[in-house]
Amino acid sequence: MNFFVLEVLIGGLLTGVLYALVALGFVLIFKASAVFNFAQGSMCLFAALALVRLMEVLPVALALLSAAAIMIGLAFAIERLVLRPLVNQEAIILFMATIGITFFLDGFGQSVFGSEVYTLDLGIPKDPLILFDGVIPGGILVNEFDLWAAVAAGVLVAVLAVFFQRTRIGRALRAVADDHQAALSVGIPLRHIWVIVWSVAGLVALVAGIIWGSKLGVQFSIALVALKALPVLMLGGLTSVPGAIVGGLIVGAGEKLSEVFLGPFLGGGIENWFAYVLALLFLLVRPQGLFGERIIERV
Amino acid sequence: MKQIGEPILTADRITLAFGGVTALNAISFGIRRHEILAMIGPNGAGKTSMLNVINGFYHPQAGTITWKGETRRRMRPYHAAAQGIARTFQNVALFKGMTTLDNIMTGRLLHMRRNFLWQAIHFGPAEQEELAHRARVERIIDFLEIQAIRKTPVGRLPYGLQKRVELGRALAMEPELLLLDEPMAGMNVEEKEDMCRFILDVSDEFGTTIALIEHDMGVVMDISDRVIVLDYGRKIADGPPDEVRSSPEVIAAYLGEER
Repeated sequence: MNFFVLEVLIGGLLTGVLYALVALGFVLIFKASAVFNFAQGSMCLFAALALVRLMEVLPVALALLSAAAIMIGLAFAIERLVLRPLVNQEAIILFMATIGITFFLDGFGQSVFGSEVYTLDLGIPKDPLILFDGVIPGGILVNEFDLWAAVAAGVLVAVLAVFFQRTRIGRALRAVADDHQAALSVGIPLRHIWVIVWSVAGLVALVAGIIWGSKLGVQFSIALVALKALPVLMLGGLTSVPGAIVGGLIVGAGEKLSEVFLGPFLGGGIENWFAYVLALLFLLVRPQGLFGERIIERV
Repeated sequence: MKQIGEPILTADRITLAFGGVTALNAISFGIRRHEILAMIGPNGAGKTSMLNVINGFYHPQAGTITWKGETRRRMRPYHAAAQGIARTFQNVALFKGMTTLDNIMTGRLLHMRRNFLWQAIHFGPAEQEELAHRARVERIIDFLEIQAIRKTPVGRLPYGLQKRVELGRALAMEPELLLLDEPMAGMNVEEKEDMCRFILDVSDEFGTTIALIEHDMGVVMDISDRVIVLDYGRKIADGPPDEVRSSPEVIAAYLGEER
């Protein structure tokens, strides 16, 4: 058997976890408010910028805590200034509002924290690592940093899954996403729920920002990583936490494998478009994604 | 036989305006414990606005609401819910993606006491609590005769059944005051009869105070203990059904005045 395949596969899966992490932020907010949060990528950038600049003056742990506090503060501000005046509006209006938040965060973040490329180094080792040296001839080459990132993402996902699926907050969230008015009438405090969800999305953005920022450097292109999350969402379904993970893994593994094995025939560069074509196919065949809720409509 | 008691809720000179339009003009009335109160009036008379004021969706510009002896200017919807006011909506506001069972379970959210860490573990006290709530919800499902659709996503149900599920969700809150906004709109005769029976049973068996808005006069006259008539944001009649029916002002509001 060719272990090179395995190596490419593992590399792809690890990248996929990172896509999933960004996608997760979208899913959380979509589940809780039926709003597609266009600002998720900008939140990653904002969080990473805040962290990087804070680390210049504070010890790492304190900087992390402060960045987390900033993201929670941001959630309060968004609820108060953007969402509260828009209760009971159509989802499309809230979506437009998140586009506004995107521009604000991009501009505000870069004018406060600066727009250079910053290196983010949390001391996570980045050396290549040879795994299973004894078992498989030559071993399997992975990037240690990717491995740590995958572990972090895995822990985050497990915590979130427990938080959202097994607590009464989960049911309250689904209720809020379905109908604001009805949710209020059964006594769900909409504002608290929104603050909770945007805080969690902000913290997920921070984690994603840290990981992508360490890989690419903290710069504007982090906000664009969010674009890679879109096909992941199409695959996994907008409403499913496991869907975001599986979608991310499929996209990550798929694009690496196709690059390596189809590249020679199609001329390379497959990595850049593979995810989008896959998403397009899914939209044609299964628009709700692998795990998304079926759209039910009585005619 | 149920005993109609003191007012549980008193509205005092409630005035609500949207821009230049006065939806409610200094309206005062009481809802008495255990009664079934019907609010009627032509379209746009302010009936739904009144319900929205009672459960805190709208905040009146003037006037106060006294709920169980506590007077307030404005209510927040989730406080209203926590203090025992449940409601249904004119155009059914259910959680369409959830099953009947889950929809009614949301009515129990306020009664769940265990914090989420316990629930996350889903073991011991939290599990027991979930089971207890589930049992209550099952009783409501039996009561409303919707066993067959327990696991059906409500978005798929016909309108009449959706209204019934919505009533179930409100009942799951174990409210002291139940506000029903046109519970029988768009139903056929058979469905209306069922709904009337449920409303009367809720009143008799649980002693719930009910305020409802309804357009079907036959229904209103049959089930209500007292009727309030609104017209252009003013209250023009308040009394037992028979009395209200023969009031000249009410007849004028409904049929138009002879000139």
